[in-house]
Amino acid sequence: MAEEILELRKLERRDTDMELTYEDGTCFVVTYDDLRHACPCAKCSPLRNEDDMSMQLRRTVEAYPKQKPTVQTVGNYALSFEWATGCSSGIYRFERIWDLAHRNDPDRGRPYVHGAW
Amino acid sequence: MSDSPVSMHTPGNQPADEASNAADPAQQKQMEQAYAQMKRKMSMAEIGRQIKHKIMVLSGKGGVGKSTVSTGLAVALAQQGHKVGILDIDITGPNVPKMMGLDGRKLHVEGGRIHPAQGHLGVKVISMAFLLEDEDTPVVWRGPIKLGAIQQFIGDVEWGELDYLIIDFPPGTSDEPLTVAQSLPDIDGMVIVTTPQDVALLDSRKSISFASSLKVPVLGVVENMSGYTINGKGTPGSTVEIAAPAGRTLSATCDEDGNFSITLDIFKKGGGQSTAEEFGVPFLGALPFDPGFVRGGDDGVHRIVSEPDGASAIAFAKVVSAVQSQLANGSSSSLEII
Repeated sequence: MAEEILELRKLERRDTDMELTYEDGTCFVVTYDDLRHACPCAKCSPLRNEDDMSMQLRRTVEAYPKQKPTVQTVGNYALSFEWATGCSSGIYRFERIWDLAHRNDPDRGRPYVHGAW
Repeated sequence: MSDSPVSMHTPGNQPADEASNAADPAQQKQMEQAYAQMKRKMSMAEIGRQIKHKIMVLSGKGGVGKSTVSTGLAVALAQQGHKVGILDIDITGPNVPKMMGLDGRKLHVEGGRIHPAQGHLGVKVISMAFLLEDEDTPVVWRGPIKLGAIQQFIGDVEWGELDYLIIDFPPGTSDEPLTVAQSLPDIDGMVIVTTPQDVALLDSRKSISFASSLKVPVLGVVENMSGYTINGKGTPGSTVEIAAPAGRTLSATCDEDGNFSITLDIFKKGGGQSTAEEFGVPFLGALPFDPGFVRGGDDGVHRIVSEPDGASAIAFAKVVSAVQSQLANGSSSSLEII
């Protein structure tokens, strides 16, 4: 059974992270590095299937210049981030943002299989 | 022709060194496309603000009456004095213009913006049908091309201020509703149209789950073609029998004036309501099986206009009222991004 997630009410972009405020007033901080490492796009997702590739992805995102992304809602169900590097592919469902805020595995332990998500 | 700043520079007007660094035609085209895309995105956000309520009308199965419900919703809301538009997203089978009496109209383009055609009660309509040379020409496009056209229909159209935008989709849960749900901000919800038979209900369940996965609220389910009522006359007090579907016999007694009325549930009955209850979404009402809808669609005059006091118009009024109640109940919370 799916966990009930609260509604995200406020997203404040800071220099290296973003502060998320949910409808019950609780606040969480997600770093841009964590966010980019959890990118759900078809290019980044397979890189998290194996630990060594995942660590390589982590090093890559940590090397990016720390700049605030442009954030847009995607319909009612997700957020998209446009980074200074030009990447804007990942569509982060609110469930994914919730998992990142709560330090849960956003992939829920499932390896990425192309076309299966 | 483009209003992109990129296209305003010609190599002949540039200094030699600048000209040598100029983008080649392919790069320039890419830049122009990127610029147009950016402008469209900004325009979509603005449209989101100008239009108070955006309602998607979907069904899982074809032929259940989505366009009838869409046009009916639009006309009924316009009758209440609201400013209404219909966006016909059915790229390959657009028929809203015909149903709105706008057959053969052409769209007006000014300043790079497309101006919708205006039908009965000033309802604004945008449809692929306006762009086809003749109505027999098929639109044979793959998904990405359709996606571009839909984004253009949203971002490049001068809707102006609207109270309601009704978005009519082709059947199913494919590219079209997904693109709209991603492109158009603050969609109020989806109206799912179904007919009572199991095959249609099965597909409607998919539409409800689809809405749930996109976090677009389901405003409710409308059951169309719910029952066909036969009215007639006989000897007062006599009993009339009619052979009904599934080998049943329906009977009615003529009243003192000799009038009788029997409703045939041609496609079964109550499936829309039970599906709505099963999924915990509102049931907006049932519309009767009325050949007048077919005639109205062909003639471009909706049934609720041609017979405003008829049973169909009354049923429609209940559906519209239920939709408005759902909209009034809807939460208006939105995410603040700083």
